[in-house]
Amino acid sequence: MRLEKCYICSSTVYPGHGIEFVRNDAKVFRFCRSKCRKTFHMKRNPRYLRWTKAYRKSHGKEMAIDSTFEFERKRQRIQRYDRELVGRTIQAIQKVDAVRMKREKDYYKNRMKQANKQVQKTAVRELEKGISLIEPDILRMNEAVKARETVQQGVAMVERDQLSGSN
Amino acid sequence: MIQNQTYLNVADNSGAKQIMCVRILKPGNAKYAHIGDIIVGVVKEALPNMPVKKSDVVRAVIVRTKKMLRRPDGMHIRFDDNAAILINQDNNPRGTRVFGPIARELRDKNFTKIISLAIEVI
Repeated sequence: MRLEKCYICSSTVYPGHGIEFVRNDAKVFRFCRSKCRKTFHMKRNPRYLRWTKAYRKSHGKEMAIDSTFEFERKRQRIQRYDRELVGRTIQAIQKVDAVRMKREKDYYKNRMKQANKQVQKTAVRELEKGISLIEPDILRMNEAVKARETVQQGVAMVERDQLSGSN
Repeated sequence: MIQNQTYLNVADNSGAKQIMCVRILKPGNAKYAHIGDIIVGVVKEALPNMPVKKSDVVRAVIVRTKKMLRRPDGMHIRFDDNAAILINQDNNPRGTRVFGPIARELRDKNFTKIISLAIEVI
C-alpha cells in the first residue's frame, strides 16, 4: 500500500485517512484532514502558511536541498520482485534515514547559532535604550541593601556590647 | 448525491451541455443516485445543430459527483462537478468522445465503452 503525502502540509496520508480531490483536468490532490482540504478550497498557497512543510522549506527553517532526499522518489520503472533486493533496500533506508537525521540536526544547530546571536544583539540594544528606566530602581535597590547592612552591623555591635557588659 | 431537479454537466460530445435529473432508475424508490447509476434527464442546454435538442428526455449515466465516493480501501474521492454521459437503451454512449476524468467504478457496472473512450480513469 502506498503512503501518499498531503498536498498542503506534506504529512503522510495513511490508508483509510483523508480525501482525494480530482480536478476537472484530472489532477489529483490528496489531503490528510479536513483542515488541509478546506485550506485548499479557500485557494490558499501552502508556501505562505506557517504550519506547512512547504513554508518551512522555502523560508530556510528546515533543510531543503540534500542528497538524502534524492532516495525518496517515485520511480517509473517497475522492478522485478527480489527478496534479497528488498532486504538490502530496507537496510539502506535505515542508513539513509540516520544520515538525514544527523544532517537535519546539524542544520538546526547552525540555524539556532545565528538566531541566538540575533536575540542577544536585540537584548543588548534594548537594555542600552531603556537603561534610564531601570537606573533609579537599581540605585534604590543598592541604597536599601546598604541600609540593611548598616542596621545589621548596628544590631551586631549592640549585641556584642551587651555580651561584654554582662561578663 | 444526485436527486430529482439536480443539474448535471454533460461530459461528452452528444450535443447536450447540461441536463436536469428527473428520475433515478434504481430498484425501489431510490432518492439519490451516485457514480455509475442510470438516470433519466431533461436537456436544459444544448449545442445548436446537433441531434440532441433542448427539452429532450434522455438516459444518462453519472460519471462524476461532488459528493465523495468511498472506495473499499477506505479512500474517499471527490470530483469538481456533477457530470453525466448520455447513453442509449443498450447502455452505449451516444457521443463519440468523453471529457474529463471518469471514476473507475463504471467498469464494474459494465460501462466498458465509456471507460475506453475516457482519457483519464481515476
